[in-house]
Amino acid sequence: MFRGRYAIPAALLASVGIFGLMAFSPSAAQADSTTPTTLASAGGGYTYPTPTTSPTVSASSGYGTANINLPETFIAPGQAIFDASCASCHGADASGTSRAPNLQGLGAGTVDFWVSTGRMPLADSSVQATEKPPRFNRTETLQIAAFVQSKTPGTGVPIPIVNLSAANLESGGSLYTLNCAACHTITGAGDALAGGAYAPSLHLATPTQIIEAIRSGPGNMPRFSEGNLTPTEAHDIAAYVHGVIQQPDDRGGFGLGGVGPVGEGFVGLLIGVGLLMLVCFWIGERS
Amino acid sequence: MIDSSLRWVDDRLGIAKGGRTFLDKIFPDHWSFMLGEIALYSFLVLLGTGVFLSLYYIPSAHEIVYHGSYLPLQGQKVSEAYASSVGLSFDVKSGLLMRQAHHWAADIFLGAIAVHMARVFFTGAFRKPRELNWIVGVSMLLLGIVNGFLGYSLPDDLVSGTGIRITYSIVESIPLVGSYLGFFLFGGNYPGNGIIIPRFFLLHVLIVPALIIGLLAAHLGLLVKQKHTQFKGRGKTEHNVVGSPMFPTFMAKTTGFLFMTTAVTFILAGFAQINPIWQFGQYEPFQISYAVQPDWYMGWLDGALRIMPSWEFVGWGHTIPLEVLLPAVIFPGIIFNIFFAWPFIEARHTGDLAYHNLLDRPRDRPKRTGAGAMMLMLMFMVFSASSTDVLANFFQIRLNSVLWFFRIAVPVIPVITYFLTVKICEEMAGAEGIGKRKPPNLVHRSATGEFSTVPTEARPGDGHEELEAVPVPTFIDMVPADLATGPGIRRVMR
Ligand code: HEC
Ligand code: HEC
Repeated sequence: MFRGRYAIPAALLASVGIFGLMAFSPSAAQADSTTPTTLASAGGGYTYPTPTTSPTVSASSGYGTANINLPETFIAPGQAIFDASCASCHGADASGTSRAPNLQGLGAGTVDFWVSTGRMPLADSSVQATEKPPRFNRTETLQIAAFVQSKTPGTGVPIPIVNLSAANLESGGSLYTLNCAACHTITGAGDALAGGAYAPSLHLATPTQIIEAIRSGPGNMPRFSEGNLTPTEAHDIAAYVHGVIQQPDDRGGFGLGGVGPVGEGFVGLLIGVGLLMLVCFWIGERS
Repeated sequence: MIDSSLRWVDDRLGIAKGGRTFLDKIFPDHWSFMLGEIALYSFLVLLGTGVFLSLYYIPSAHEIVYHGSYLPLQGQKVSEAYASSVGLSFDVKSGLLMRQAHHWAADIFLGAIAVHMARVFFTGAFRKPRELNWIVGVSMLLLGIVNGFLGYSLPDDLVSGTGIRITYSIVESIPLVGSYLGFFLFGGNYPGNGIIIPRFFLLHVLIVPALIIGLLAAHLGLLVKQKHTQFKGRGKTEHNVVGSPMFPTFMAKTTGFLFMTTAVTFILAGFAQINPIWQFGQYEPFQISYAVQPDWYMGWLDGALRIMPSWEFVGWGHTIPLEVLLPAVIFPGIIFNIFFAWPFIEARHTGDLAYHNLLDRPRDRPKRTGAGAMMLMLMFMVFSASSTDVLANFFQIRLNSVLWFFRIAVPVIPVITYFLTVKICEEMAGAEGIGKRKPPNLVHRSATGEFSTVPTEARPGDGHEELEAVPVPTFIDMVPADLATGPGIRRVMR
């Protein structure tokens, strides 16, 4: 009288479940190479950026304080690009127009951030500038930065040399939770903020961009001076974003977008309850 | 040998007779009668995985230095509760799977209760004599939500801590007794002296589950006593039940279903991550992350909180934060009172006080169906409102526009749903033969090219015929052929 036809699919499903168990249980995941096992590998021994020609490193007085010195030779080609792509909005000498703000005094780092994240050149000035694939390669970007910096030498945010090999992930983690999670969310997925602004996802930002963002405070983001976050702390945050947020320890299966219970609720109801209702239907139809 | 010892037991306890009634219990075969079982079986999964988790979880807010295998936490000061939750996920074999299965099972448990409740509601199964069982069911829903929230709070991560913080504000918002109640619960001003975690633990693993189990026993006991309802159909009257007996037919089905439920839960647990607490970090009262929501079954409360304008009542030296009190205390209070009282509200409205064992088709009761659809829509809207920020980010619209959309939509759309549903039901009721199997038409083409249609002969099941009820047989394996209405299907008197 026992109905074999229920037992077989049930056993099949259960074995798939057991497979999932084996695939994602800690013992399997521990061998996973994405797990940050050492701090050095989390930082990736970052030496980015290394431009093709010869920007030199300024005298580094301490950990995390080294900046890129842009060579004089970058200014002229930078000016050419600026004239072609930026001057229509920011003015030929980068002093701003009615359409776009003054760039003088912001520093090479600010320019690097806006150009390397693809925010500039801007396509539609009515909304918050968004990240898109950058228009210019690394050298061109640095040339533009060199040109803008040449207007006001020595001021503004410099382009940092990021070396995360000595960074401290734990301190980065707590600093991140304290300073950044309120807008960018604890998983770095980003979120809408009041007043139509939004904090973007941090999953694509490079360590250089992260430090430039911290120092320059793009758009609606607050600016963190060295008094708020020391160079070491900024590096720790960059290491945490780069090593943990961008490579989350997604043990336990698909991350479901890192948006928390909303996604989980949908999956639980649609897949969990939905599948079981189908099973009900199927069993019911068979009698 | 076995026989005689069984006889010995039965001579003393007399359980054979009760067992006979139980094994003979008839289950209707319609699929929607199995929805409650999803809830029952996911509850069993919850119990099983829960026992596993409680072996490793340490219910203590005591601060220790983390030394587990999750590197970004190394050397940080965390609570023992958090450390042990991360520890049981990473350092205990199959611990993460169990934790995730527990969490998914909770999501499924409450989802299944909601679906089951909708079935009972829309078919009118809660009418006399089953009002009591409806109340038991709603109580279990309430307890399930409460226990879900308690469990969600136990890991002491950033997200759950935020939930506790909000709860404290909600408790505080109750006029007059609020702050005393908060002090009583938390053993002092927020965040308390670490007493809340052990207390929640006790409630979560002992008291609330015990209450649920008690109610569950009552729920099933009443079910056996009052027997199932059934849809109108061939041979089914107010005075009989048609379906498969508990043993062996239903037993086989339901055991298979238990395995299915477990399998689906564990597939989700194996493949879909839920609540990655290690990514959130330890809860600190001064920290907050955006995009923090409670689990879905609490989402409607969060949504109500979010869309509420910030109103306050100030008078007689007291401030009553209406922006918290209304959405988080009054609103759920009203909803659950409606749930509890619905059988009586409806009986009063229709004046129908008769016994009912036959179910309604939803379309035959337009107003009830409309009311149910309205409630579902209301719940769905407030639930969606709990993800204003996620929606705004996803669709790239302004957060405030989303907020205002929900402020208007939450009261308006459910009302529209009501009228729409009533209209659809009435239309369906008015249409002749809708939902019935129609005899196919044969289309003939004559030699001259003329077409004509001829309905075919009626087949079994096309019409509606009443069968005579028959008395309860003493032994199921001796069902005379004339009592059976089909293979393995029997009719018994109530
Ligand atoms: C279509 C007009 C337009 C073009 C072309 C354009 N920008 Fe912009 N730029 C803007 C506007 C408008 C803002 C202000 C955006 C905001 O705050 O969101 C801005 C902001 C900036 C900022 C940040 C200013 C601050 O106060 O932080 C930098 C740096 C910048 N632009 C650099 C550039 C560079 C370099 C180029 C050329 C590659 C460029 N822009 C091309 C319109 C433009
Ligand atoms: C008040 C909210 C707020 C806080 C706090 C905040 N940010 Fe931001 N962040 C923003 C917003 C808004 C933007 C987008 C700016 C724009 O495009 O106009 C942004 C952009 C960024 C970007 C650029 C992302 C990309 O790929 O384009 C990075 C990197 C970043 N933030 C890092 C940080 C870090 C690190 C911290 C903590 C030290 C932090 N933010 C704190 C609001 C915030």
